[in-house]
Amino acid sequence: MAKAFKRTSRGIAGSLHEPERKLLRDLFDDVITLLEERDEIHRVDPAEDLDPLYALTGMSPDRGPLPEPSDPATARLLPVASDDEQVANEFRRFGEQDLIAAKIGRLREAQFLMENTRIVLDEAAASRFAQALNDVRLVLSQRLGIRDEQDSERIGQINDAAQVQTSQDYMALVYNLISWVQDTIMQALLDSEY
Amino acid sequence: MVGMTVMPEILEETSEQVRHDRKWRLIVWNDPVNLMSYVSYVFRSHFGFSAQKAEKLMMQVHHDGFSVVLTGSREKIEAHVQAMHGYGLNATMSQEA
Repeated sequence: MAKAFKRTSRGIAGSLHEPERKLLRDLFDDVITLLEERDEIHRVDPAEDLDPLYALTGMSPDRGPLPEPSDPATARLLPVASDDEQVANEFRRFGEQDLIAAKIGRLREAQFLMENTRIVLDEAAASRFAQALNDVRLVLSQRLGIRDEQDSERIGQINDAAQVQTSQDYMALVYNLISWVQDTIMQALLDSEY
Repeated sequence: MVGMTVMPEILEETSEQVRHDRKWRLIVWNDPVNLMSYVSYVFRSHFGFSAQKAEKLMMQVHHDGFSVVLTGSREKIEAHVQAMHGYGLNATMSQEA
């Protein structure tokens, strides 16, 4: 079983056992795949390489607004940035690729952490690991249909492997495990500050 | 002033509509996934808010459904929205009326 992350003299330390680490590796992979699929939309048509404005600035003003991600999980990772449609479109056009790259970077780093049982992190690394775990939770929350606090409470009650009957139950169990791990990291980080 | 120093010709449509004298708000919205501890931590570490201020804003998001966390220039608020999305928080920006 996982051991809570705690503040120690060497950093923020906790343990995850092999089945948990394998599960998390796969989940980090799933989220990376979702983001990489979305990233395709930003790839520029080779013909556009010839556009002098694009060559100069990397901007392609002729293309219309980017559609929002069709998968609700991807949409939750890359949310709408404004109720003003034009502001939101511009934000997506110019910022989404960087956001995708930053998220993928943290997810890959988190995957590397899954090599060892004992995980010891400095504060910045613990924060990045928590961000990667949070992205997994955001994706799972969409798959589990968590739309309000009642849903979240109902899902939160599934924490006994013996009760698990369906794949949804199993996913809920995993979601709760990750929430717990993330929360222990947050408590450790909050302990250390101020 | 407000962050429209970037490529004005290209952003022409927007610059006609956006009033430069009004500030922008960073709004963080409640959602049923983000942990309260996490949101508090993000408010403390990203914005450098005190524990009390971070806690107060987090509770405001939790109870009222949203909180206006900061106001400022478009450029500044854009950067913070991007950072909040990096953390997985539901954040939007809008210009003050």
